[in-house]
Amino acid sequence: MKWFAPIPLSIKLPLLAATMMVLVGTVASHQVLQSLAQVQDARIRELARMHVEGLSVALGPLVLRRDIWEVYDTLDRASQGVGGRRMVLTAVADERGKILAATDPRRVPMDSDIAALADDAVALDNLTVDGASPVLSLLAPLTYQGRIVGQIATELDVADLLSERRKALLFLILGNAIATGLLSVAGFFAIRKMLQPITTLARQMTETKGEPHPIPISDIPRGDGELARLARTYNSMVGAVLAKAEAERRLAERERFVALGRLSSSLAHEINNPLGGLLNATDTIRSYPDRPEVVRKSADLIDRGLRHLRDVTRATLDQNRIDPEARALTPDDFEDIKLLIQPEISRLALDLEWSVEPTSVTECSLSAGPVRQIALNLLLNACSAAGQNGCVRLMALTRNGNLTLQIMNTGAAMPQAALDRLLEDGPLLPGGGVGLRLVRDLITKLGGAISHSHENGVTCVAVSLPISWESADAEE
Amino acid sequence: MEHSITRRMLLGSGIAAFLASSARAQPAFRLGLTPVFLDNDAAVIDGLSRALSHGMGREIELVQRRTYQEITGLLLERSVDAAWLCGYPYLQHDDLLGLVAVPVWRGEPRYRSYLIVGTEDGAKNLTDLRGGTHAFSDPDSNSGYLVTATNLLRKGEQVESFFSRSIFTFGHRNVVRAVADGLVQSGSVDGYVWEALAVIEPGLTARTRVISRSEWLGFPPVCARRDNLASEPVQALQTALMSLAETEEGRLALTWLQLDGFRQATPALFDGIADRMRDLDP
Repeated sequence: MKWFAPIPLSIKLPLLAATMMVLVGTVASHQVLQSLAQVQDARIRELARMHVEGLSVALGPLVLRRDIWEVYDTLDRASQGVGGRRMVLTAVADERGKILAATDPRRVPMDSDIAALADDAVALDNLTVDGASPVLSLLAPLTYQGRIVGQIATELDVADLLSERRKALLFLILGNAIATGLLSVAGFFAIRKMLQPITTLARQMTETKGEPHPIPISDIPRGDGELARLARTYNSMVGAVLAKAEAERRLAERERFVALGRLSSSLAHEINNPLGGLLNATDTIRSYPDRPEVVRKSADLIDRGLRHLRDVTRATLDQNRIDPEARALTPDDFEDIKLLIQPEISRLALDLEWSVEPTSVTECSLSAGPVRQIALNLLLNACSAAGQNGCVRLMALTRNGNLTLQIMNTGAAMPQAALDRLLEDGPLLPGGGVGLRLVRDLITKLGGAISHSHENGVTCVAVSLPISWESADAEE
Repeated sequence: MEHSITRRMLLGSGIAAFLASSARAQPAFRLGLTPVFLDNDAAVIDGLSRALSHGMGREIELVQRRTYQEITGLLLERSVDAAWLCGYPYLQHDDLLGLVAVPVWRGEPRYRSYLIVGTEDGAKNLTDLRGGTHAFSDPDSNSGYLVTATNLLRKGEQVESFFSRSIFTFGHRNVVRAVADGLVQSGSVDGYVWEALAVIEPGLTARTRVISRSEWLGFPPVCARRDNLASEPVQALQTALMSLAETEEGRLALTWLQLDGFRQATPALFDGIADRMRDLDP
């Protein structure tokens, strides 16, 4: 039955229904034919009984007298009646079995032995229209006044009964075939129509192309049946999925703005500090324009301040670029990250340990954008977790064909909700940020792995990114 | 239309009523019939009864029995007034029976006995029938038994040994049926009956073939007891028979019987049968 499994439900069910109908039709036909056979047998036995009993009454004295002509004349006249058409041959013998007369004297001559005629004859009670022969042979005793005076052999033509049976069989087969065919076709379309919502549901679920689509209202069955409820439930689920995706998108957007705000404040701080120095330098130049060494020193100070401002601006631009960055990762990206977290480091008076192997970073051929985002998010998170006067450490090195980033920080361990977002793919609980889940998604896209440990007050998050990862794939 | 009762109509009605009452007043005439002719045809019987009743001016009661012997017995014991017998039983009791009239068939008061076989049978004469089965009409029938029995005797044969089995059908038409249906190989039948059947039931006789015809013999006569011959009823019967051709009903009855009429005859008409009787019982 393995071949049956792949057949669609809309064909399987009508086929099952048709098969059941054929089975029911076959059983019913068998019952009808059996009943017909029993009726025919009863009819033929009754007819034969009346024939034999009638002949016994009429022929008894004639057989006793051996009045051959009268026996023949009686048989001949009986054969002209209605029963004669059924009784194709009747022969009467004396008690010794010698034929006295028969309705067909040429076939059964006088004085011949009735045994030759009664080879396949049966008794009255065993008479049955079995379908093997269109003629039944019957041998019955001729009883007169309580004693057997002879024998009656009769051949009954049952061709019409067999024909009736064949016709009944033919009509049953034709009727069943037509009825089964019509009902199967009707059942096929009816069940197909009934299963249409299932088909639509399956199509909507399998042909989502990015996101599930709800079933059009026009395709939902009317009423409050199971299928209608199923379709409405599916539409509700699709709506919930879409709402969830939209919520995640908004959350990510919010997280981005949060990060941007944090960066903006640190950027303002970063710009504000040099600005004081720059303004002092310009005041110094205005005050001592005739002192070249002071002007040169102030100009150098202004130059360093402006370069610092340029670097900060560039790093900020690079970090918040809207288009995906296809550029390969360089050691400068880590310098940018360091620059970006510097205000947070300064604000919290953190001890930052920075260890980046330039060769490893250059040879890894990873896209800069995702790695910068991963590192920045984890470092900001680590800064936040380390708290005031804590310690944060970054290590970037190549190990076993992977670029490994280790971000460690002192302070409290990561709460379970944050770990779930970082290490699991389960749904996000409302209220949490999406920065860590964004990190996980980026690592997953890059084919990497992430691990977490917290020992002796030190939290360590290790990210392993395969360096064989093609940059083209990483763009996806 | 105006209806008026005339004097002639009254006179006619009165005569008819008188005749009818006189017919009812006299005892019915009992006429015995043997299967010598088409006794199974109710129309023929009714037609003959009506014609004779009209001719005799009295009711006719036709008495039928299965065998010649029964009818002859009825006649001898006076249970019937007259009977249409065969020449053979007449001669068997000619000391007690007398001739009333004899039918005329094809211009003569004579007929013949036929020996018949089935159409497909190859027998050409009586000798070819040896060992076969045979149907006789009646043991007291001239054409249906005596002729064939005496023909065999003249050949030195006996009925019982010549045929493997012989049966009596007690009716000439039955003999024809028995042969036509193949119940028996051959049969002895009244030639007049066979010829009459050839007209009214050609399909039956067409299945038989005549292989032998006897000499012309006296036609089965209407007989009465000798001591009753001169009685008024028997005389009336004789008159009615002789004058059948003169009335419409009589002619119709004769047509059905395929006879020309009746005439008086002498015992000499049956000499041929008497000769055969002597052969049978010397």
